[in-house]
Amino acid sequence: MLELSIVIPLYNEEESVDALYGEVRAAAESLGIGWELLLVDDGSTDGTLDRLREICARDPRVEAIRFRRNYGQTAALQAGFDQARGRTVITLDGDLQNDPRDFGLLLATLDEGCDVVCGWRRDRKDKMVSRRLPSMAANWLIGKITGTRIHDNGCTLKAYRTDVVKRARLYGEMHRFMAPMMSLSGSRCREVVVNHRARQFGRSKYGISRIWKVFLDLLTIKMLLGFTTRPAKWFAALAAPFLAGTLLAFAVAVYLGLTVPPGGKYSLVFPAITILLAFASAHLTILGLFSELVVRVGDFKASDVVLPSLDSGGRP
Amino acid sequence: MSRGQTRANPDVSVVIPVVERYGDLRQLYTEFSAELSRLGKSSEFIFVIDEQLRDAVPVLRELQERTEQELVIVLMGGPFGESAALTAGLERARGDSIVTLAAYFQVQPSGLGPALAALDEGPDLVVGRRFPRIDSYFNRLQSRLFHRIVSRLTGTNFHDISCGFKVMKPQVARELNLYGGMHRFIPVLALSHGFAVREIDVAQRSEDRSTRFHGTGTYLGRLLDILSIFFLTKFTRQPLRFFGLLGVALFAMGVGVDLIVVTEKLFFDTGLSDRALLLLGVLLMVLGVQTLSLGLVGEIIIFTHARKVRSYHVAEVIRAPGRPEPEAERKISSVRNLR
Repeated sequence: MLELSIVIPLYNEEESVDALYGEVRAAAESLGIGWELLLVDDGSTDGTLDRLREICARDPRVEAIRFRRNYGQTAALQAGFDQARGRTVITLDGDLQNDPRDFGLLLATLDEGCDVVCGWRRDRKDKMVSRRLPSMAANWLIGKITGTRIHDNGCTLKAYRTDVVKRARLYGEMHRFMAPMMSLSGSRCREVVVNHRARQFGRSKYGISRIWKVFLDLLTIKMLLGFTTRPAKWFAALAAPFLAGTLLAFAVAVYLGLTVPPGGKYSLVFPAITILLAFASAHLTILGLFSELVVRVGDFKASDVVLPSLDSGGRP
Repeated sequence: MSRGQTRANPDVSVVIPVVERYGDLRQLYTEFSAELSRLGKSSEFIFVIDEQLRDAVPVLRELQERTEQELVIVLMGGPFGESAALTAGLERARGDSIVTLAAYFQVQPSGLGPALAALDEGPDLVVGRRFPRIDSYFNRLQSRLFHRIVSRLTGTNFHDISCGFKVMKPQVARELNLYGGMHRFIPVLALSHGFAVREIDVAQRSEDRSTRFHGTGTYLGRLLDILSIFFLTKFTRQPLRFFGLLGVALFAMGVGVDLIVVTEKLFFDTGLSDRALLLLGVLLMVLGVQTLSLGLVGEIIIFTHARKVRSYHVAEVIRAPGRPEPEAERKISSVRNLR
């Protein structure tokens, strides 16, 4: 059994690949355990692929997975996870900003009894206004909403127990929310301060994109976190304000009806609003029931969120 | 020609869906099979007939008896349309390259050679573009408008995606899952599957020229097709990105409208119960929340199926000769791919 699988998503990292491989190899060899390196080429258009071929031909511990086109970091990580054979998985960026010498620290923290160890780039070597401030705000918000309070969701340098990533359900652009997504399956997270270095080659490719995407993803995660118990309940909560609105509008309609002077005109605006809001709350409740059906026919089981106990060596 | 009888895989499979308009199938077959023999390619022809066009079967039967080449006739069980017919045909194609053709005279057979040659140069799909066009000005305008909208929405750049003439590798045929009106968007779908697509010019036949006026229904149908292809290529993995944005926009509009009404009530003392605008605001808010919540249901669907549905296509796994293949790889290829 391999001890460690290292997964690195690469997108147009022609200049960094060789140095990256050298550093990772040195760091992994110094750990004295069996390891493999999985390089995922996320549809690079430069010479990254040729570099990868050279490395793979030289070193049987290295494997490269080439995508047909650019699918984004989540898909690249997922491909690495799917292919990983080690007992532990470490992910890092392909741009040399993460330091492979932190591997030992991550693994030691993992052995202390948790499922995911997140790197925290406390001394980030990036621009303050364009990258660090938005990231601080985002991390605060993510912690607030998902309940997984870690300082640095954006750091790719993380260590996972393999059975945790194998059962994770990643899709879309969930790589920004690895820790909360993992906590969906009941994982315990820890955080360690890792080294961060300034960019040597190229420019950043996976930046914080438009803010609304992050908001919508957060909403999704919030819902997924809630729905692992009962989706109908979650949708009922969404329907509650509309139900309150219905009652309020109904009260106003009745009040106006009672106070209308004899021979006066009774406006239908409030009765109409009552109907509209009642319709909305009914619709949401029904959607909740419908989601129960969707969950039932899907392959999600309650046992997915129960982790195997630690003393079984991390295997169920 | 004895090659057709050995049941070895032919060089080229030609798939012809006979669904709506069809010309002289005998002549079509003769011309294109002659061109393929001239190019030195063994071939099989697969005609897929929609149920309502059964009349075309006797002609093909006769052709089947006369020819020594492989000629397959597939009769659909109902009026399922062109996408279904294409899928049925592509499933049966055994050739190393697969050509699709319209069932009428759309392009010159001389286009086959360059298209097959282009496929050998690397792309997975070669799309014919009828150029120069000999259609009426009205039809050209119509087509240009259609393609402008498609390009804008899908971020692609094709000039004649509805041309029936396409040449593809078997892998493309296997992966395209066509239904509804999706056959019109094969190049766009192939691109989103990560295939390399190239457009080449082919000479248009004079028989293809006809002024086509479509009813309003056709245009509405096309518009729906465009919308679904836009959704399918961009948002299948993130339904909330689509529904959520739409829902939030509607909700914000509703809030805005009602804020105006309430402000007027507070400062100008216009009675709320007289304002139909208030109703509009509530309606927009309700619509917004409903759209958003449908997006959430979409996310639940994706999440609960995330295991089966992979969001990437692996082109190749590179490893040293000594390295053993992991089990996981077989697992990857067996799961269904989204996009």
